[in-house]
Amino acid sequence: MIKKIKVTTLERILLIFVIILAIFTFSSLIILKNKCMFLENYNPDKIKFSKPENIAVLNVPCGNVIIELYPDVSKNAVERFKLLINSKAYDEVAFHRVIKDKLVQAGDLEFGRKNSLDYGKIGTGASGYGTINSELDSNFKFTKGSVGLARTFKNNTEDSQFFIILQDEPLFEGEYTPVGKVLYGLEILNKIKYQDHSEYVLRPDFINTLRMYE
Amino acid sequence: MRKFIIIFFLLFPILSAKADTIYNLIKIPNLKVYEINTKNKIKYFYASGGFRLGVEKNIECFSSDVKSLSSKYQTIHKNISQYSSNFLKKINLKYIVMCENLSISGTSTAGIPNNLMKTLIIDIKFNKNYFERSIHHEIFHMINDSFSNIFDEKVWKSLNKKKFKYAECSTCTDKINLSTYNKTEGFFTEYSKSTASEDMAEVFSYLMFDKNIVGEKIINDIILKKKVFFLKENILKIDSKFKFDD
Repeated sequence: MIKKIKVTTLERILLIFVIILAIFTFSSLIILKNKCMFLENYNPDKIKFSKPENIAVLNVPCGNVIIELYPDVSKNAVERFKLLINSKAYDEVAFHRVIKDKLVQAGDLEFGRKNSLDYGKIGTGASGYGTINSELDSNFKFTKGSVGLARTFKNNTEDSQFFIILQDEPLFEGEYTPVGKVLYGLEILNKIKYQDHSEYVLRPDFINTLRMYE
Repeated sequence: MRKFIIIFFLLFPILSAKADTIYNLIKIPNLKVYEINTKNKIKYFYASGGFRLGVEKNIECFSSDVKSLSSKYQTIHKNISQYSSNFLKKINLKYIVMCENLSISGTSTAGIPNNLMKTLIIDIKFNKNYFERSIHHEIFHMINDSFSNIFDEKVWKSLNKKKFKYAECSTCTDKINLSTYNKTEGFFTEYSKSTASEDMAEVFSYLMFDKNIVGEKIINDIILKKKVFFLKENILKIDSKFKFDD
């Protein structure tokens, strides 16, 4: 005859605790795996823009980042940026340089493409259109969300690479050519993959698409 | 407490990976912003720790205390404010680095200009008798680096007496005294006699720092008078609105 064992109150509490812990662990794993959870994906069609012809939509793993370009500030740089956007040149190009809470950089069209990524040369590639002159004369304030063209150590070497800053950078003023500012979705860029010990990212995130709105 | 220390050391490498904007811009480590909102758009940094530069790490400078920085900043700012943002842009000067006991290969120096990096490093502990004037001296080197075609050394040398010869370089001579000569004879200081570019820098520094001395000395010194004219004329070619010693 099997003797029936009575469950004590303490054992019941312990069981409930284990179940709660299991649920918490399971849900945490889902949340942690989905880095895009809780982020709003902005639909440009639902937003009214004062200058829609200067709106660019950058689609990245966690959604849309909506950028207003400033041709009045940097005529040539914006012209180059639009040229590359319209030729879909930025699609599937890596965010190869990412500094947590500081900046994301992408646009190496030669060595940063998803199907031909070259870790040894990434960041040094060219677009094939040649370099353009820096446009540094404006009093543009590099506040959080500003978009600028990257360059080498020397001025007048801007090409296709661009960066978006995630914090105010007053020292960038007069150093880098501004092209625009993020209007919506800056928080989405905080989720771009970065590495703690290096500015350059191994197995980086990629731009899905970058398109002009109109 | 022990757990706290372990957690701190686990987190430390993560925290320390944060990028340094100043280093990315001018490749000098251990700098912090002192003042960046200035009328002529010059950005002032100070050394929060010592640094070594150059391929052979032969340039060395050290951090400074807050009190020294504060007083010397006022002096540096006052002197650099004499230059307009337009002029500074033309000569590629944007950043001033303030530090102590600056030296190149062990030899003390007032400043080190770097045209490519748009930077002038200033030793705030440099001899106080010549400190202000030396700022303008170093700025002339920035000017000369940007417009060496204008400041023709051959023309400059021809202004001296025929028998006079400069040394091969500014560091291969013992002519280093910066005191103003009573009897100038074509040179404001002994250091002027080291090289043509140092001579130009010395004349320029007097023009910017003490025009009374310049006025007084050139009355009876025809060579100095020609040198002053040469410099003024060529500086005005760079910026027609340039003002000497405001």
